[in-house]
Amino acid sequence: MTSKVTTEVLEKGTKQVKTILQIAQKQKTKIRYDKKAESEFFVDNSALAGFTGERILYMSVRELIENSLDSCEINHILPVIHLRLKLLDGLNDLWTISCKDNGIGIPSEKVPVAVCSFLTSGKYVEKQQRGLFGVGLKMIAAFSTKDTDHPLRVWSKSEEESQCYFDLRTDIGTNKPITLFKKNVKNDESQIEGDSGFKVEAVLRAKLSPVTKNKIYDYVSQTSIVNPYAIITFETDEGKVTFKRRTEIMPNPSREVLPHPYDMDLKTLKKAILNFMNQKTTLQGILSNSFQKMSNDKAKEIITRAGLPIKPADKYDEHELIKVVNVCKHTKFQSPNTDHLSPIGEKILTVGMTSEYSIILNKETGNSGSQTQLSAKILKPALTAYSSRICIVNNRPTIVECGIAYGGDIPSFKLFRFANKIPLLYDEGSDVAREVISEVGINKMGISKKEVKEQYSHVETKSDRTVEYLPIHIFFHICSTKIPYKTAGKESIASEGDLKKYMKSCLSDLYRKVSAQIRRELKLKEDENKLRLYKHYIPFIIDAISESIKIDSKKLSIAFQNLAERYVSGELTNITKQIFPDSNQKRNQINNKKNNDKKNTVNNDNGNENNLNKFDTRTSVPKHGNKTKLDKINIHRKITKK
Amino acid sequence: MAPKDRRHQEINNKIRKIMKNVGDDILIQGIMPSLEIPKVGYDNTVWSDEKRMLTIGNKTVQIGPNSSKKIPTFAQYLVMANAIRKLLDEEMESTIRGMYYATLSTVGDEKNQQKFWSGQDDSDDAIKAIELLTNVPREEFSVTSKPKGMISGPITLSVGGDLIDCNLGSRATSQLIPTNIRDLEIVKVKADFVMVVEKDTVLNNIRKSGFIQKYNAILLTGSGEPDRATRMMVKVLNEKWKKPVVIFADADPWGLGIALRYKIGSESLSYDSDRLVTPNSKVLGMMFSDIYEYNIPKVARLAATQEDLNRANDMKKKPWLQDKRWKRELNLFLEHKEKCELDAFFKYGFKYLADTYLPNKLREAGVI
Repeated sequence: MTSKVTTEVLEKGTKQVKTILQIAQKQKTKIRYDKKAESEFFVDNSALAGFTGERILYMSVRELIENSLDSCEINHILPVIHLRLKLLDGLNDLWTISCKDNGIGIPSEKVPVAVCSFLTSGKYVEKQQRGLFGVGLKMIAAFSTKDTDHPLRVWSKSEEESQCYFDLRTDIGTNKPITLFKKNVKNDESQIEGDSGFKVEAVLRAKLSPVTKNKIYDYVSQTSIVNPYAIITFETDEGKVTFKRRTEIMPNPSREVLPHPYDMDLKTLKKAILNFMNQKTTLQGILSNSFQKMSNDKAKEIITRAGLPIKPADKYDEHELIKVVNVCKHTKFQSPNTDHLSPIGEKILTVGMTSEYSIILNKETGNSGSQTQLSAKILKPALTAYSSRICIVNNRPTIVECGIAYGGDIPSFKLFRFANKIPLLYDEGSDVAREVISEVGINKMGISKKEVKEQYSHVETKSDRTVEYLPIHIFFHICSTKIPYKTAGKESIASEGDLKKYMKSCLSDLYRKVSAQIRRELKLKEDENKLRLYKHYIPFIIDAISESIKIDSKKLSIAFQNLAERYVSGELTNITKQIFPDSNQKRNQINNKKNNDKKNTVNNDNGNENNLNKFDTRTSVPKHGNKTKLDKINIHRKITKK
Repeated sequence: MAPKDRRHQEINNKIRKIMKNVGDDILIQGIMPSLEIPKVGYDNTVWSDEKRMLTIGNKTVQIGPNSSKKIPTFAQYLVMANAIRKLLDEEMESTIRGMYYATLSTVGDEKNQQKFWSGQDDSDDAIKAIELLTNVPREEFSVTSKPKGMISGPITLSVGGDLIDCNLGSRATSQLIPTNIRDLEIVKVKADFVMVVEKDTVLNNIRKSGFIQKYNAILLTGSGEPDRATRMMVKVLNEKWKKPVVIFADADPWGLGIALRYKIGSESLSYDSDRLVTPNSKVLGMMFSDIYEYNIPKVARLAATQEDLNRANDMKKKPWLQDKRWKRELNLFLEHKEKCELDAFFKYGFKYLADTYLPNKLREAGVI
């Protein structure tokens, strides 16, 4: 055989080489068609759920907090969440993460599947929730099973049930839970204090870089901004912080809704028909009962236009049904309703914005080297504003919410992005919100680039966008059942459909709303800068004068400082013209005129008098200013009362 | 300690008066002080037919601590005024750079620290402001600039009592024109006329050729932009000693500008023209037309830069340069876009400038 091939190769070379290649290919292409368990698929493709190397702990924190919040909000329970992240074994990079909430818990017989089996979820309905896919918690369970020999520890108490405890692991090959141990928890070992709740504790193998650690801190504090009604305690090796509850108002829970006809496809239609199998309902009835904005008449009209004969609903074949789908795509319906969406709302976002927590790491250097100590600080802005829009993106109703917090304790520009109340922290540069901010001019605030740059010339920003010089926090929240994420990691939103247009109009609206206050704030800032200039330059002037002529320099200095304060506060409007070398007559004339002017001014605005009555440091001036400012804004007054 | 010099006492009194007015405004009147200063620059420069020179108009500016920009300026002016007062009290003299150093300091706290002067330009401006406020030229404050003007020829100067004969026999050097003009006096002038050239290199060439001895002339240069002492020297020689003055500069807009500095004055010093400008002086060269009349070889001509052209266009628009002769010359320049330095005559031999071109021009003008 071999010799024969060789001679043939020599004789008709190329043809033979082809044959050999074909043989080789045949051997390769032998494919085994296996079914992979969901769990194995997700573990192999963990990036789909965002669980990639560096981000494992970040994603775990995220998933656990989101589950807990969802679990509370579904029954309108004011959330109390306790999150713990501690290093267990530094040598092997093992971390213990645990999260406890006072949500509705999970019925005990469902706990193992709900925790361990991928694509098992109580959230597969048409309404806005944080988690959707039934993947997050399972991912933690699978990673824990894969990388460690520790079981996942779960405590759950759902209503009218006693508290139960599980040791669980995932059988990654079959997507089935393994219950190692199960017991009812006695009162003295109870982990859940209230009527219901859920606690999970897992050991994970992961590395935590300082960058990721900061992202976790950011994530928790930003979560507290949009969930000011939740108490979130966060405990790490660096300390413990508690984000207090600042309001008891909770957003209306989202409700499940019927799909909109624009979203109808063969699958949804067949599913609808299947739902009515046992009842003798016509197609017309099924349509009007299964889709929103679909009246009986409208359903009839659609069936007629599709040209379908009247027969029992289950007798239609796919070729007939697709006509119904097609007709729906070309029919006008009312806009979808938004009951299934749960925006943050003006009240709650405003509470969040006015009591924004920021986590601070205090470095303490002691005998045992430097130690960091965690603490939380509330940033109180001078003013806030809110605006929202309802729009249709990708045929889905979408709510855009936008908020602004300005001045006060806010040190510099920052953009906050949320999608369905989840903070987005990565890929800010490619997010549609970034584009929106660049494209909406700050002149809408009634201030010019030049003014801003003059007053905030010391601000160090890499960007040349003027708005980033301002001490302003801009918040965007997009809620929809189908957020147009740019990537599978769900960290940035694409500029799809009219989304950007609506976001821009929202932000412009806000800029206009705050323009008067920002102008005032900027004026305050200008005054502050001016007062600082006076403070720095008056000594030079006093020295020059007192060295040249006999004068009480102390008295002169005090008088000049008073003068400067009065001038900055607007009490003193005109300056005299001093004519040199000297012409006293003219001088007196001007002075007289000036005194008259002064009287007028004082009459005109008595209110301004107290605005700045303290000359001196930079800190005292804005504080005073802010106080008067806050009184002028309604929202803030309400909050203060509470 | 009061200065002995009466003139110095007067100046110090003026400065004290300024300080007192500012102090009174603050303490007694309770109003923002302000200094009214004549505005310096193109839009407040006026041509005087009577004086035949540029003078300052009526516009003024108010400098008071009433805006973020003016607070530092106001402080700078007062600090400079005080420094000048001290200088006079101590009977010392200083250059403008010395005044800059004497008043250097930093402003603000650790967080917002900046320099009191952002550069010497700032302090020069402050000195100018004090000149305008007191109506006294800075030379009288004993604040001078570094000397750069040079003089050669049959003239004897007295500087603080020391006699200096500028008719240096060696033909090898010139005398610097002192800038402390209060100590300067002209004792004796034997020359028939005064010739001002733009640059010292040209002056050296002419002096070496024996021009001074041959034509009994005084040679003078400001080494580019002339300082005040040089301009005053020219004026005194012309008006007090009745010597004709002729001016030669390069054939480019810059050179023409310098020549006119002597003859009609400048916008930035329009307030001091009475002391500095010599209206009877004659600008003889080098004219743009000379490039073609003397057929300067192409290789020695320079192409005009955009800056030159802009400058020429600006000059054409100035109301005081509407004279036919200047317009014709500027148009010639704008048309050919060529300029030429006096040094270009060296192409015809090192003595051509002094032996041929200058005598020709002087004869045309009837000076020799």
